[in-house]
Amino acid sequence: MAELIHDLKNSNHHARINVKLVSEVGVGTVAAGVAKAKADVILVSGYDGGTGASPRSSIQHAGAPWELGLAETNQTLLLNDLRSRVILETDGQLKTGRDVVIACLLGAEEFGFATAPLITLGCLMMRVCHKNTCPVGIATQDPRLREKFAGGADAVVNFMNFVAEEIRETMAKLGFRTINEMVGRVDKLELRKAINHWKAKGLDYSGILYRPDVDPEVGTYCQMKQDHLLDRSLDNREILKQALPAIESGIPVSIDLQVINTDRVVGTMTGAEISRKHGPDGLPEDTVRINLAGSAGQSLGAFCPQGMTFTVTGDTNDYLGKGLSGGKIIVRPPEDSPFVAHENIIAGNVCFYGATAGQAFVSGVVGERFCVRNSGVHAVVEGLGDHGCEYMTGGLVLCLGKTGRNFGAGMSGGVAYIYDEAGDFVSTKLNTEMVKTYPLVECDDKEIDEVKSLISRHVEYTHSPRGTELLNDWRLAAEKFVKIMPEDYERVLFALKKAEDRGLEGDAAIQAAFEENVAAGH
Amino acid sequence: MGKPTGFLEHERQSIPDRSPLERIKDWKEIHEPFNEDKVRQQGSRCMDCGTPYCHTGMTLANMASGCPINNLIPEWNDLVYQGKWRDALDRLHKTNNFPEFTGRVCPAPCEGSCVLGVIEPPVTIKSIECSIIDKGFAEGWVTPQPPASRSGKKVAVVGSGPAGMAAADQLNKAGHSVTVYERADRIGGLLLYGIPNMKLEKEIVQRRVDLMAAEGIKFIVSTEIGKDLPTKSLLEDFDSVVLCCGATKPRDLPIEGRDLKGVHYAMEFLTINTQGLLELKDVSAFETAAKSKDVVVIGGGDTGTDCVGTSVRHGCKSITQLEIMPRPPEERADDNPWPEWPKVYKMDYGQEEAKEVFGEDPRNYLTMTKKFLGDDRGNLKGVTICDIEWKMEDGRYSPVEVQGSEREIPAQAAFLAMGFLGPEDTIAEELGLERDSRSNVQAEYGRFSTNIEGVFAAGDMRRGQSLVVWAINEGRAAARECDRYLMGETSLP
Repeated sequence: MAELIHDLKNSNHHARINVKLVSEVGVGTVAAGVAKAKADVILVSGYDGGTGASPRSSIQHAGAPWELGLAETNQTLLLNDLRSRVILETDGQLKTGRDVVIACLLGAEEFGFATAPLITLGCLMMRVCHKNTCPVGIATQDPRLREKFAGGADAVVNFMNFVAEEIRETMAKLGFRTINEMVGRVDKLELRKAINHWKAKGLDYSGILYRPDVDPEVGTYCQMKQDHLLDRSLDNREILKQALPAIESGIPVSIDLQVINTDRVVGTMTGAEISRKHGPDGLPEDTVRINLAGSAGQSLGAFCPQGMTFTVTGDTNDYLGKGLSGGKIIVRPPEDSPFVAHENIIAGNVCFYGATAGQAFVSGVVGERFCVRNSGVHAVVEGLGDHGCEYMTGGLVLCLGKTGRNFGAGMSGGVAYIYDEAGDFVSTKLNTEMVKTYPLVECDDKEIDEVKSLISRHVEYTHSPRGTELLNDWRLAAEKFVKIMPEDYERVLFALKKAEDRGLEGDAAIQAAFEENVAAGH
Repeated sequence: MGKPTGFLEHERQSIPDRSPLERIKDWKEIHEPFNEDKVRQQGSRCMDCGTPYCHTGMTLANMASGCPINNLIPEWNDLVYQGKWRDALDRLHKTNNFPEFTGRVCPAPCEGSCVLGVIEPPVTIKSIECSIIDKGFAEGWVTPQPPASRSGKKVAVVGSGPAGMAAADQLNKAGHSVTVYERADRIGGLLLYGIPNMKLEKEIVQRRVDLMAAEGIKFIVSTEIGKDLPTKSLLEDFDSVVLCCGATKPRDLPIEGRDLKGVHYAMEFLTINTQGLLELKDVSAFETAAKSKDVVVIGGGDTGTDCVGTSVRHGCKSITQLEIMPRPPEERADDNPWPEWPKVYKMDYGQEEAKEVFGEDPRNYLTMTKKFLGDDRGNLKGVTICDIEWKMEDGRYSPVEVQGSEREIPAQAAFLAMGFLGPEDTIAEELGLERDSRSNVQAEYGRFSTNIEGVFAAGDMRRGQSLVVWAINEGRAAARECDRYLMGETSLP
């Protein structure tokens, strides 16, 4: 959690990192941990909400009322003197000013609304948010349906004005001037005596309405910001300074640095500046070259855009290239390394998790869960651990050595090529639920050449002995490559090609392929 | 469930009508048969809403919104789409004893509250309902289902309209021995003599009556309780009595010339017409009040429409329908949002036919009748009418004559279709039943028990004039309460 919050903060230090917790017994303890992990906002979410896409069982039976979780969280944070450094938010069918005031008195200072504003926009609670058939044009991209949207922002503004007005009225009655004064003032809540239902007998609210007796100097609402220690990062110390010409005016730079494993999230802040300045397309390839020697910490190059190239001579930790968004990452052992690269780990677990674009050349073996949820990166490695390419939806993985078990589980897109020297990959390592396999040599020449040229580039970047060896006897090596292709993905690609052959381009071709699949009942 | 994209692919299509000029030549139903595949396609338009309104039966702004008998509409829409007609029929019969009636004559508050109606013409629920039950009869799936055992209790149902029939059907299902009394010569009440044949063919009513008779219900016709047979005798001979006598007192128009020959209540006209049709089976043989005459229909409701359609079939010379309310808007007004019953302009079958024959919609809005004019032999020869405006006076709207708008129109026949005031007094007075401020029999909705022990009241007699579907709702529910009274518990819905 701390790692994730730190990574995200690096990727955009203007953003508040908000951690959403389900209201349930024990959420206070979890929230205390989250506050220590430096979340800026903690959201305690009640059991009443849920999107129309969620199954009925989840809408109605997940979690507890926000009142319970919120009270517990606020008390725990107060007792540990953590309350003053986080904002506490709550949601889950808040609909009126009264709801907001109660939430505030129980300890929240921010409040989430979703269902009620949606209703003011015209939502009819069809529960088809996931089907692209929303008849009032809210939860859909279908132009025919979006045309039917009759709502407007004014309705939401109007609704929120009513809520605010009611809050103001209630605050006046209670004698509060500001929300901050009101946060956590459970002494202002009392049980309604008039409710005399037999089920209410024996209910004890004292735990909810308890106000911890803390020292006067303990802050009862958010009064300070979390210290994310961004100033200690390698980016703030060195890289940003040296990369300034590239960020400001696109002048290529090359930065040489030593790196040690306490340098986490290297390059991400620089990448964020590039994205901020140059937009999602980043800079031309290799504009910012960052050459690192040593052992890099977690999340090297996370979220980095096009135009950044990392060359690590040494090794890297977990989360290498997490969420990579166009950058290029090269990892290779030092020239004088005595190890056999394709038999030794060079990068940690969960590399390129959720990456969307970019390239990676890793001369060595990587850990478990390689390229999980990858949707665009093209990566070359020389061996990988269990669960490779799990839930991958796009991109390409080329592995020049052994893999672990359960490869390709839930893989719905992208393609992988495995050098299966022992010939047991398909029978012992592959999860065949969603994928098909082909010998590479049965693919067309163009595809075989593409694989070969990718290996050539790998050798060029990393001087990989394994790659060189395969290229030297390519005819024989090619025989041992297996191509892994998700079945559905293959069918869509085929439909897409047909659409393009008909002269369609871009989105139109994708739409045509989509409709062909829908028509075929997929 | 269903087809998520059905409503995007198909447009609404209801059971088609025969062309007006063709259908006015006979008294047969105005509808054409509906292609089965079309119905399935229409079923696919149902969106399987997360929050459906079609089956709610709420009352919004004093009108029904959603089905008053809570028909399981999304379920059988989907079953029809899947082609599971038999299952659809079973689902339909679960809540509705007489879908062949409601599928033809119900104004369909379900469609008014259909969620699809927010953005497009709603699902054609009524046509689907009608198709399900028609197919059920055609396939021979609807057969007599007499109860497995008898409770030994005897119940009398007075009145054989939709409420009485529904109550009788339910009580019989619960095993009680039911006798239905009807003062007319045939069973059916307003279903038979109130609704003309082109809207609901009388064979269809008789088919259901035969089915119920085969299930063990005893029907006694031409016997008016309170006249031919004292009501008190029912209390002695039966364990319980359910009164479903309707709200049959018509609203009169006590203006000058009301007694002239040619001025009739609409219900007299329609009843005689259907009687003639049933007795003689020949249109030409019962030339009535309307043939070759200038006809004026006073009242713009369904009964008025039926008078128009009937007069047109008789070959009237001209037809004018007078309505005191303004012409409704083409689309919902701002104060009439979904899912309320849509108060919008509609061309019903009678007006459509009149328009085809005479070139224009016969309805005149914001018009009031001032007097009936007679010739020296006491026959109606014209009507004096005027335009009105609705003005706020003393906190309520009242009609005010527009100065100088008074005029005469020729009329040799005038039919009063201005609604009903409440139930007749005979039975209520004999038993000493308590009445509410609108003269309806006092019986709390949901309990249906009157101030006399063992006597229940349901339908128009209790709630005042209303829809067939409300009558079925009340008949079913009164049967449940009657069963509970008789047995101490009930399993009727």
